[in-house]
Amino acid sequence: MNRRIMIVDDNEYVRASVDIICESAQLELTSAASGPECLKQLEEGFRGVILMDIMMPDMDGWDTIRAMVERGLYQGNIIVMLTGMGEPDSKMEGLQEYVSDYMTKPFSPDELLDSLEYYLTLLNTPAGDHE
Amino acid sequence: MNSGNLVVIAVSTGGPLTLKALFKELPPLDAAFVIVLHITPQMDYRIANGLATTASMPVTLAEDGECLKSGRIYLAPGGFHLKLEGNRRVALCDGARVNYVQPAADVTMLSLGRPLKGKLIGIVLTGMGRDGAEGIRHIHQVGGVTIAQDQHSSTIYGMPKAAAQTGAVDYVLPLKKIAGKLMELLDQTG
Repeated sequence: MNRRIMIVDDNEYVRASVDIICESAQLELTSAASGPECLKQLEEGFRGVILMDIMMPDMDGWDTIRAMVERGLYQGNIIVMLTGMGEPDSKMEGLQEYVSDYMTKPFSPDELLDSLEYYLTLLNTPAGDHE
Repeated sequence: MNSGNLVVIAVSTGGPLTLKALFKELPPLDAAFVIVLHITPQMDYRIANGLATTASMPVTLAEDGECLKSGRIYLAPGGFHLKLEGNRRVALCDGARVNYVQPAADVTMLSLGRPLKGKLIGIVLTGMGRDGAEGIRHIHQVGGVTIAQDQHSSTIYGMPKAAAQTGAVDYVLPLKKIAGKLMELLDQTG
């Protein structure tokens, strides 16, 4: 059963917080401090639920998702966006289908874990025969 | 369909958990539910299965050519637009993205005609963009009842806001009250 989570955030405190929350629920966490680091982890085989910060230097969350799709690295993952902003910007247009959820920081541990457990359940369901 | 009641739901980002919360509150109802969620073909079957674990009605991916049945939930598959011929027969179509997405709720809603039998209800839930707004305007014009999720309970208030701004929404409600309104409109108060 896949219990893998990836946090992609340039803020080390956010990564550390998610680490503590995931450890409490026996989730296997991979940390990436940037979009390129996330892509590297995906190329090395990571598949799971990805918590993606939007605002990151050089390559933001939207650019990272576009790169995932273009390189064929989206399949087998579920993406939840993390942001400090109240509403997403127009860069999300065209990427709605790839983003399952959107959480505004700060989030509570219970809120995060409830979401992660549900998305892991979906991820561990077979994708069907018309994929 | 028995009653001819039809509920069409437009939803995007935040949709999986929002749909789970909505359908958890609904008993089996005498209506066919069609959900247009912005998803990829890699995710649609998983979302349908996830929803089936909490919904009181059976959930399936809509199939081309099938006729809607009351008391069932149909999820539009990823990679196609879904039209409803005669408000009941599913037609899956290729074609350009609409509102940057496929499936697009506007395509489904704009394919609907004035119901000859039963109630027609259109709902726009959380999501980025404005998909569903033109569809809600159309449903209102053909005599349907329209509902939009309120800002506070929306993960992203883009789609419900665009729908409400058309002036064609009858009810703007928090998610927790949408189930009750549906039961009231479908004359099943639980």
